[in-house]
Amino acid sequence: MSQVIPLAGVAKKRVLVVDDSATMRLYYRTVLEAAGFAVEEAANGVEGYEKVLAKPFNLLIVDVNMPKMDGYSMLRLVRRDASVQAVPAVTITTQGHPWDVVKAFEAGANFYLLKPVTPEELIEVVRLIGGGAP
Amino acid sequence: MAVVLAKDMGGSISDDEFAKFCEFFYRKTGIQYGIGKKYYVDRRIIERMAETNSESFRDYFTMMRFQESGQELQFLVNAMTVNETYFFREDYQFDALVTGILPDLVKSKRRGDPIRIWSIPCSSGEEPYSIAINILERWDLSDSWNIEIHASDIDSKILAAAQAGRFSERSVGRVSPQLLQRYFKPQVAGQYQICDALRGSIDFSLVNVVDPKHTKRFRNMDVIFCRNLLIYFDDIGRRETVEMFYDCLAPGGYICLGHSESMSRMSSTFLPRKFKDTIVYQKPVAGE
Amino acid sequence: MALVKGRLPTADGAADAVPRGLTTLLTDLAAPEPGVRRKAARELESYPESAMVLCDRLQVETSPSVRSMLFITLIQTQSSAVAVRLAEFLRSDDAPLRNAAIEALQEMPDAVTPRLQALLVDEDSDVRISAVNILAALRHAQASEWLVGVIRVDPHVNVCAAAVDGLAEIGGPEAVRDLRELRVRFAGDAYMEFAIDTAISRIGVE
Repeated sequence: MSQVIPLAGVAKKRVLVVDDSATMRLYYRTVLEAAGFAVEEAANGVEGYEKVLAKPFNLLIVDVNMPKMDGYSMLRLVRRDASVQAVPAVTITTQGHPWDVVKAFEAGANFYLLKPVTPEELIEVVRLIGGGAP
Repeated sequence: MAVVLAKDMGGSISDDEFAKFCEFFYRKTGIQYGIGKKYYVDRRIIERMAETNSESFRDYFTMMRFQESGQELQFLVNAMTVNETYFFREDYQFDALVTGILPDLVKSKRRGDPIRIWSIPCSSGEEPYSIAINILERWDLSDSWNIEIHASDIDSKILAAAQAGRFSERSVGRVSPQLLQRYFKPQVAGQYQICDALRGSIDFSLVNVVDPKHTKRFRNMDVIFCRNLLIYFDDIGRRETVEMFYDCLAPGGYICLGHSESMSRMSSTFLPRKFKDTIVYQKPVAGE
Repeated sequence: MALVKGRLPTADGAADAVPRGLTTLLTDLAAPEPGVRRKAARELESYPESAMVLCDRLQVETSPSVRSMLFITLIQTQSSAVAVRLAEFLRSDDAPLRNAAIEALQEMPDAVTPRLQALLVDEDSDVRISAVNILAALRHAQASEWLVGVIRVDPHVNVCAAAVDGLAEIGGPEAVRDLRELRVRFAGDAYMEFAIDTAISRIGVE
């Protein structure tokens, strides 16, 4: 895992990780914090949306299958809300069906990944979609 | 035996055990504890372990995790959360009420339509009276609307206390001297009584939220304050009560929960809305 | 004063004393207004024989508040016939429906358990993942054992990952050996190594 030291005085880029698996959230946090990002978590789409409303983020990483509210529904809510709709988002799914790509973009994702995601993929996508280095 | 063991452990659980506990607790309640809260969490878990005669954290966790009734989790939630009532508690929600919720509600109301607010549980009355004072003092349109404040509790003794409206120094600690003078009459030393006009304008009722006979009288509510009640229910009780509140609210109505509570562990039928610094929940407007 | 003492209607016992008829309720279940459908979904709780119709309705219902009431009524049946129907939704490509079905099945432990064994070996890996997620949430005495069974034989990385997740919470020391073997099987997969190491430390074994 690469180490990037953020410049002093430059605020870290903030990533919201939304996944019902505690282990997956911990994995994303470990990888992204080591790469210099600030990470917050949510365990389902309702909580994810609440956190998006509460604070600004540079990127959302959103699992699709979650209790209470799935990732696509959460993303649709985010895109409907003028105060937060522009935030970049990556959806993560286990399914490798062609229609998942369509669903992801219809819901408003900027990109999508299949899990499990490698640390390199994760950092690459976060930098690319979240707008540059941390 | 369990007490001796607890002392032997030096009153702490391992970092891994702490992580395991926090992951489970967060999954169930949405409440997150960082490593900075370890001492706080440790003490309470050790206490519960002693109470339940658990010989190790693993035994305790397994018992709690697999318990049918979910009662130990409820005890734990009780132990983890502080619940005291006083005037203007969680006042950022009253901010949201007067600066966000009420202005939004009146956009789709006609002149003469009432605005109905429900405080449940109202406990000893601090909450409904706080709502009333905030509206009168801080909402510039309060004179243009008929505002009904309904206040309910399951406990008749505490309801009677709410109706009597007598409060301690501690309870009114956050009320400014001007507001104290305007809305309270000092009684014997250290006691304050809400003025008669305010006392008389709140509709108090005995309500058990799980009894449909009680709750079906509440219809077309615009705002429900249900703070620090649902967190003490089990999953089924919570879900049933949330659905009941949904039915009690008018379309577009709002519900406010306690600061460590979230709909995310209860229901997805409400829409989270942000006003000022707080999240409240809105029933979808008609047609959804 | 702007505050007025509101008077609520008295509880009207008579109106609700007699439950509405099945035919009326089934008609209301397909009414254009979501509020009417939701009320019917709630009242059909009194007619357990309507369970399959409620399941049918789930497939076409678009209103979230009606769907949630349908699930509440269905969960209350605790019926294995309902569990079988709901399990079919695990194959659906409608994400909200699929995930709500998982949650509902988690609340029907006795009704779903007989079905779980079959779901755990379903040919669709996503169905197997859902089955593992259901299993991991149950208060089932053998849940940990079954999860170990999954990591022993399932070929799919995400199914195993879901099982490892479950074992992190409910696994005992007896699961550690199989977790270590799984780590060998998925050597080089950064997430799996991380997840297995995490599960082993949560179980509390060095």
